[in-house]
Amino acid sequence: MGIFFDPEVWGIAWPPIRSGILITLALALASIAAGTAAGFALSLARTLPVRRLAAAIVVYSDAFRAFPPLVLLVVLYFAAPFAGIELSGFAASFLALALVLAASAEEIFWAGLTSVRRGQWEAALSTGMSRAATLRRVILPQAVRLTIPPLTNRAIATGKNTALASVVAVPEVLNQAASIQAQTASPAPLLLAAVVYVALFLPLVRLGRWLEDRFPSP
Amino acid sequence: MALPVLELRGIGKAFDGVPALKGIDLSVHEGELVALIGPSGSGKSTLLRCCNRLTEPDGGAVRFGGRPAPSGGRALAEARRRMGMVFQAFNLYPHLTALENAALAPRRAAGLSRKAAEQAAREALSRVGLADRADARPDALSGGQQQRVAIARALALRPRILLLDEPTSALDPELVGSVLDVIGSLKADGVAMLIATHEIAFAREAADRIVFLAEGRILESGPPEEVLDRPRSARLRSFLRRL
Ligand SMILES: Nc1ncnc2c1ncn2[C@@H]1O[C@H](COP(=O)(O)OP(=O)(O)O)[C@@H](O)[C@H]1O
Ligand SMILES: [Mg+2]
Repeated sequence: MGIFFDPEVWGIAWPPIRSGILITLALALASIAAGTAAGFALSLARTLPVRRLAAAIVVYSDAFRAFPPLVLLVVLYFAAPFAGIELSGFAASFLALALVLAASAEEIFWAGLTSVRRGQWEAALSTGMSRAATLRRVILPQAVRLTIPPLTNRAIATGKNTALASVVAVPEVLNQAASIQAQTASPAPLLLAAVVYVALFLPLVRLGRWLEDRFPSP
Repeated sequence: MALPVLELRGIGKAFDGVPALKGIDLSVHEGELVALIGPSGSGKSTLLRCCNRLTEPDGGAVRFGGRPAPSGGRALAEARRRMGMVFQAFNLYPHLTALENAALAPRRAAGLSRKAAEQAAREALSRVGLADRADARPDALSGGQQQRVAIARALALRPRILLLDEPTSALDPELVGSVLDVIGSLKADGVAMLIATHEIAFAREAADRIVFLAEGRILESGPPEEVLDRPRSARLRSFLRRL
């Protein structure tokens, strides 16, 4: 047991892992924010009466929900340079996570938007409100209830998937822990990393639970 | 002679090649209440929805206030605001109170200040007898009260005409009267209305004109006594018998 909690190794591992926490958090926040925003924009674009655009969005959403994030990341990082696109490890990880989240978030927002009955659109349009005002004042407030719980789950999954960035040498928590592990030949840094991940994401999971209670799906 | 508020000329509409309306000519004058009767599927809803283009007619012309009704853009939105619509299923906004339901369009479509919009909404709610339920959410109201809030939502915009699509068909029988009373009082105030209804007794009493629709065509039209008591077509006779 002692070998996992060797205080000396934990002492050595902590400073690099601490700096890794910042990178993990930065990567998580950036990809969650960008992915959610992009998914929201795509779902709104899909409501426009432009068939081809809606079809393209569905193709995107399906394709990127089918892609394992790790495969996408590896393609972006190792294959894209052959097409003349050089991405840093951080940029490739950010893109991969954001693209995958955007695809799921688009579906979630779309499900929320379409869950609002057509009569709500018609009532608001019949009073002379614009489509934009109807969306903002009538449709979205009702759709949001349905989107918050699944969206929180996708955000948590995205946060946890930041660990994938370790394979493209981004010095985030797991990557740092793995290098110290190699240097010290001790499993203790990995244990420390595990504790750090739980500490980082447990609050988000609790928040998700609370939101699910507040916005129960019908 | 009162001026026509709403005029339909040769309105046609087909859904997937199946005609729902076949050349409808109809006008509603200021202060007039016109009742649309006819079997289910005869095109009553489609006709009402073609007036404000919630359903886009395939052909024909709609005139509103003596001018061609706009077919798109801001002008259409403005025309819609002046043609209040009341739906069979109420379609109130469930996340808003009665007052907010009625104040939303005055603020967001007519561009009134928040205060003026609330004032208009309050006046409309008292007109339908619900001033004391201003802060209630729709789910806390009875069906009859919900439909009256929906009428207030349209009235708050000072419409030139109300389009009502079977406003009492979704109501429990004991609640129908309260909604018909409100509609009757609007008629007394001179609000022009085009109403699809199965309430023949109400139509006889309140309507200036009854229009009988069958299979997308107007088969008969005239004052209630004439249409209801001396039906000329077999279709109308059998329709009236089966009520
Ligand atoms: N959105 C629609 N899509 C396809 N068919 C429709 C649609 N709306 C109405 N119809 C058809 O048009 C005809 C007239 O319908 P409607 O106007 O609802 O009649 P009513 O209101 O008198 O019951 C019916 O045959 C109905 O099935
Ligand atoms: Mg109908």
